[in-house]
Amino acid sequence: MLGIDVIIKTVSRILFPFILLIGAYIALYGHLSPGGAFPAGAIIASGFVLLIIAYTERDVEHTFTKHELIDIKSIAGILLIGLIISISHKSRVEFLSAQTALSLWSGGFTPFLNMVGGFMVATALVFIIYTLVRE
Amino acid sequence: MRFSAEKVLGLYMLAILGITLIGIVVLTPDIGSFSHKAAANYYLESGLQDTGSANIVNSIVWDYRGYDTLGEETVLFTAALGIFLMIRKKA
Repeated sequence: MLGIDVIIKTVSRILFPFILLIGAYIALYGHLSPGGAFPAGAIIASGFVLLIIAYTERDVEHTFTKHELIDIKSIAGILLIGLIISISHKSRVEFLSAQTALSLWSGGFTPFLNMVGGFMVATALVFIIYTLVRE
Repeated sequence: MRFSAEKVLGLYMLAILGITLIGIVVLTPDIGSFSHKAAANYYLESGLQDTGSANIVNSIVWDYRGYDTLGEETVLFTAALGIFLMIRKKA
């Protein structure tokens, strides 16, 4: 079993879900509070960096492979293109009028765009980290 | 004393550059006193009605300028792809 100290391993293993939770919160509340897709993706990718530092990148890649990353990124990219093209569509106005301002269910397509964009950024950064750690 | 044609041309270009730079410094408005704020005022006044999101920055990034953000995501994707293609195990 490679890697560093047992304390760091245990702490990072416990802390990792909470980092993902903070990232999801920042992506979900991006249209209400400071944040958005790019900080959320960076936070999620930093959680993966913590795991890679504590364990080896072989163990992390074994549970979360590059193929899964590429699948998530492809689906998120197609959804992102569709949502951004449909911003100028007429159905957005009806969608917007069905929502209440200043609540979680508001902002038109921006919450969905935040989530999908967060997936895009997180997968891109994790992909870069996987590739660079190998060297 | 005779100057060559290149030196005279260089002096002229230097004079033009100096006049341009001095003009830029003189004509620049002070920080905070820029008077053409039509776009910023429009975003602040009708951003909530247009997009419905309380975070003005997020509504500008993902709603008013969505295509720009799509291009940013494309740049990020291309960067990841380029790093993966440059640094990989040689077959």
